[in-house]
Amino acid sequence: MTEGTERKGGWDVEQLLGDALRPIEPPQRLSGRFEDTLAAVTQAAAEELSDWAEELSESELRALRDPRNWVRPVVAVGAGGVATGALVLLELRRRGKRGTEGGLRSLRDRL
Amino acid sequence: MSGAQENVEPKQLDPAAKAELDRAFEDFYREHLRDVYSYAYYRVGNHHDAEDLTEQAFLQAYRHFDRARRESDGRPLRPWLIRIAHNLASNYYRDRSRRPQTPLESADPIAARHDTVAIAEGREELREVMENLKHLSEDRREVLIMRFALGMDNREIARALGRSDGATKVLIHRAIKQLQEEMSDD
Repeated sequence: MTEGTERKGGWDVEQLLGDALRPIEPPQRLSGRFEDTLAAVTQAAAEELSDWAEELSESELRALRDPRNWVRPVVAVGAGGVATGALVLLELRRRGKRGTEGGLRSLRDRL
Repeated sequence: MSGAQENVEPKQLDPAAKAELDRAFEDFYREHLRDVYSYAYYRVGNHHDAEDLTEQAFLQAYRHFDRARRESDGRPLRPWLIRIAHNLASNYYRDRSRRPQTPLESADPIAARHDTVAIAEGREELREVMENLKHLSEDRREVLIMRFALGMDNREIARALGRSDGATKVLIHRAIKQLQEEMSDD
């Protein structure tokens, strides 16, 4: 047994725990995988909004001309724009892995 | 782990606010990835499921990030994030009714804090402490992971577990004491 981990009257458990429970480095692929998943769910959200717009019937379109019903489409268009924007950012981020961090940020800032 | 395709879009924001939120989340992700991964690994005991759990934790965090920032009142968000991982890990065991499949000591620890000789000399003790860690109840094992693998203080651990500071201090004390007794019995 090594000195320092077994004291008189017992183990220095805190010292042993500090040595045993070391932080684990995540694999490099995890970041890329997370970005892909986030991009996929963002894409799905955008497609869902697109499908909703395409499925409108004539009567629903007439109803939409009524200003009292404008809130929902306005919200949907805004949400679609945000979702698409997020998708573009994630795609740029993925492509930007080949470049520098600063390059990615400046490109995103210009958009 | 299932459920990756759930709606994770945060509350709709204007584009500028959304861009700022995404940048903040990117920093948050980089800052805490190792913490979440370490926690997940020590909870589930294998890299494959630890990756799934980490991914799920960050997806959930992304979904509620805006609200969490607003409600945090400037306090660190790490306990909130670890609480998400804690809930996911609990569901992982409850839903699948399985235990860690890989011995925890097979992890690839960061060796920066010790030289090779010290690690070689201490290997048997480390194996022993990891083995005895398995004999602890889930909540006792968990506070030790948070304290020693993540370096969280009592207050952070208390917030992550939804307990009072006092109850958390007692829990940590009892966990260490039990481990000490287990080690002495061997």
